[in-house]
Amino acid sequence: MDPSWPLMIEGWLFALLLVVFVLGLLRRQANDALAGWITLAGLVGISVAAWNAEPGRVALEGTFVLDELSLFGKRLFLVASVLSVLATQAMTHASFRRRGTEYYVAFLASLLGMLVLASARDLIVLFVAFELMSIPLYFLTGFLKGDKAAPEGAMKFFLVGSISSAVILYGLSFVYGAAGTTDMSAIPPLVATANPLMLLGLALMLGGLGFKIAAVPFHMWVPDTYEAANTPFVAWISIAPKTAGFLAIFRLYVEGVGEGAVLWVPIVSVLAGVTIVAGNLMAIPQSNIKRLLAYSGVAHIGYLLLGLAAMSVSGVGMVLFYLVAYLFGNMGAFFVVQAVAASEGSDEIEKYQGLARRSPVLALSLLLFLLSLGGIPFMAGFWAKLFIFWAVVEQGMYWLAFLGAVLTVVALYYYLVVARRMYIEAPTNPAPIPVPAVLMVAIGGCVAGILIMGVYPEPWVRAFMRVAMTLFSTI
Amino acid sequence: MTGWPVLSILTWAPFASALLIMGFGRSRPGFVRWTALLGTAVSMVCALWLYANYDLAAAGFQFYEELPLVPSMGITYQLAIDGMSLVMVLLTAIIILAGVFASWTVKTRDQEFYALLLLLVTGVFGVFVSLDLFVFFLFYEIAVLPMYLLIGIWGSSGEVRPQGVFGWAFGRTGVGTKEYAAMKLTLYLLFGSAFILVGMLALYVAAGSTSFSLLALEAVEFDPGLQSWVFLAFYIGFGILAAIFPFHTWSPDGHASAPTAVSMLHAGVLMKLGAYGVVRLGMGLLPEATQQWAWLVGTIACINIVYGALSAMAQKDLKYVIAYSSVSHMGIVMLGAATLTESGLNGAVFQMFAHGIMTGLFFALVGLVYEKAHSRDIFSMGGFATMMPGIAVAFTIGGLSSLGLPATAGFVAEFLTFLGAWSSAHSWWLFPAVIGAFLTSLYVLRVVRAIFWGPKSTNPHFQNLPDAQGTEWVAIVILVGALVLFGVLPGLALTPIDVSTVPLLMRLGVL
Repeated sequence: MDPSWPLMIEGWLFALLLVVFVLGLLRRQANDALAGWITLAGLVGISVAAWNAEPGRVALEGTFVLDELSLFGKRLFLVASVLSVLATQAMTHASFRRRGTEYYVAFLASLLGMLVLASARDLIVLFVAFELMSIPLYFLTGFLKGDKAAPEGAMKFFLVGSISSAVILYGLSFVYGAAGTTDMSAIPPLVATANPLMLLGLALMLGGLGFKIAAVPFHMWVPDTYEAANTPFVAWISIAPKTAGFLAIFRLYVEGVGEGAVLWVPIVSVLAGVTIVAGNLMAIPQSNIKRLLAYSGVAHIGYLLLGLAAMSVSGVGMVLFYLVAYLFGNMGAFFVVQAVAASEGSDEIEKYQGLARRSPVLALSLLLFLLSLGGIPFMAGFWAKLFIFWAVVEQGMYWLAFLGAVLTVVALYYYLVVARRMYIEAPTNPAPIPVPAVLMVAIGGCVAGILIMGVYPEPWVRAFMRVAMTLFSTI
Repeated sequence: MTGWPVLSILTWAPFASALLIMGFGRSRPGFVRWTALLGTAVSMVCALWLYANYDLAAAGFQFYEELPLVPSMGITYQLAIDGMSLVMVLLTAIIILAGVFASWTVKTRDQEFYALLLLLVTGVFGVFVSLDLFVFFLFYEIAVLPMYLLIGIWGSSGEVRPQGVFGWAFGRTGVGTKEYAAMKLTLYLLFGSAFILVGMLALYVAAGSTSFSLLALEAVEFDPGLQSWVFLAFYIGFGILAAIFPFHTWSPDGHASAPTAVSMLHAGVLMKLGAYGVVRLGMGLLPEATQQWAWLVGTIACINIVYGALSAMAQKDLKYVIAYSSVSHMGIVMLGAATLTESGLNGAVFQMFAHGIMTGLFFALVGLVYEKAHSRDIFSMGGFATMMPGIAVAFTIGGLSSLGLPATAGFVAEFLTFLGAWSSAHSWWLFPAVIGAFLTSLYVLRVVRAIFWGPKSTNPHFQNLPDAQGTEWVAIVILVGALVLFGVLPGLALTPIDVSTVPLLMRLGVL
């Protein structure tokens, strides 16, 4: 394929998807491991291509762009997918042995949706990409269909997801009615003149997107889904579809709107504040670590919305930084959870008792991930929080920054409760926890990510600010 | 040695030894201890070198180091010290050196213990030497977090169980256990840091978002309205660490539950970090707000002095007495600062130093007594002076300094502070301060008498207890020596303090 073709990344991914699909048709038995490794190798190759891609090109009559923001999104999706597929190799569940190719085909299809979504500059393309991303997710949530919780979680996710899609579509119809075109570049002028139909449409879409990114009060599906689904997949949906949601928000509400974006500040700040408070408070009583991480994830979405509420270059840039920091911290935490669950057969926090003496490296990794999520210095999450607060204070919203800062203390409380189990309490069973090599590589990658970003954030900040700048400069 | 980054060496030497300990210290207790000692000794040498080479005539910030960290946000790894931070660095070096000796006998998980202790010290040094607000905050957080594990793992739960309504609270939350204390301390301090962070960011943005450097921000004249609330944010944020009333309750619990070296470091140095923050950032950057809120700071300090002393009198647990005495003495520090007079502020900084040494000594001795007698219950022990004369004498010297006897460091500090209080705009502050000093002599002498010099306990547990031995002596000698030395020759510390407080007060326009 022509390397300068804007759709090159999607093209390669589609080819990979076909290969895995055909593989599944040809050899129905004993092809599970092979499919996984092919997927992994393919994704690594596509990631390399994505890193070499040049921004600044348009295809399909302007409905598909390859700009800085879309490249950021694609790279993030690919890194998250590589890590997730790596961890999936360590899954020993019977379903993965029997139906592994199905899993990877659905996974790649969803990823394809995300990649297209990152580039969509047309409402229809955006919506189709959203659905391409979402529908495989429902299936993947219920992949371990033998488990009691899986069908329930998948069903809940499916119902909520479909309703949110319908809401988005409904809002989209108003936007189309106001603009008379599905081209997104028609939105900014109408927002600037405060066209009521346009605002109504965008407000409805914000609600629908709120479901996708799991902002309070649209977060109900998150804990059940996380608890039900297999862990490498949960690690992935905790970040990739959320990032996709934020990219859509940037495209619809920020790009090219300029000063007009201030219009959304009150509603986004309220959403952010409520999400931070509710997410953090609901995480406190959790006794299941996946549910804990689910609620803490909701709180993190609140912090991301806080950055969005700043509606400034630094705000958007810092949201991007936060997303990457959150990717490493959260996925890493889930991978440790996967290792412990594989050995202990449970996700209860009790099972982490004395982990530091059973498997010091695993415990230290989880501690680092939790501290990064909690925002402790020399971890990526610290800068992420700090930058978000800075962007908010810059806009004079001291109270919002203050609220966010105080609630990080709440977050640290429940992270420290896990740390207490691991470090202070004595183990009931002294045997070390076996960690498959692939999982160790994935965990190691995440540790490296949070530490590198934490110790030397400068190049990342610079890169993300450049991306954010493009959103505000192109009118 | 002029080309050397002495401040960086001072700060990172403990961190380097922590890494060595984590890397190679597994089940090698000798290696762990000597590496820790080496790291802290390097810091001590650096601190002494700095003390000897600090140019008093030039004053201001010296030994400047700079390295861009996040240039796009104006964050720079920028280190330098003035007289005030010099004294604080010296204090930290003394306490941690003594602390390493005092924890020589830690047996369980000693590798992790020393590594965390050294990490903590890196944070403390970093706070005192950093000029960039942001780096300051970074080190501040590092100084808070290891505390959770240090108290949670190696701490001890109080023996005296709470009664009445507190007994009910104990059942609900575990008040008085080490886990409770560790969590409470960590959350309080992190809660404080949330205030500090927002205040810092507000100043940074108001100054034009170009630099977090203290020197750059000092040159900016902030809007009085902004100053007013940022000062309060700093006061609450740092004040929690300095145990101001009513945010002091973490401190007795935390200090009583912590292992010896951690109590020493925390009560001795970390609480000073709070006061240092108020003086350096609050008073240094926000002159108008300082004038505006001095009455509040001083009045709360008076409450601290009296309330802390009364609470100390009511305790039966030896560690809680010392911990509440810290609350009372930190009141003296804050009072001295609030007087906005030269003698008051000098007294405050000197009290930080003197109380640091003194309380470090107390906690070291309490740790020893507990190790020998396995008790912290004051009134069950008695007559220990015949069995452990060394510890008894050292404890008595510490006690006399605590109540402000001349020829000890405590006297100089209290005298200067009282002088400042009397000549300040609120001269009535003198009375609660003097009442506090009186109450201090009551509870200190009561404890000293009950445990060491009073009639001998008949309890068979308390017979034939050994005195301090070996490395334990080293800690005691270092601390007692410092306490007497700076009591007899206060100028050693007051001269560098004075060259940094005078410019600060001049900027405030009160000198």
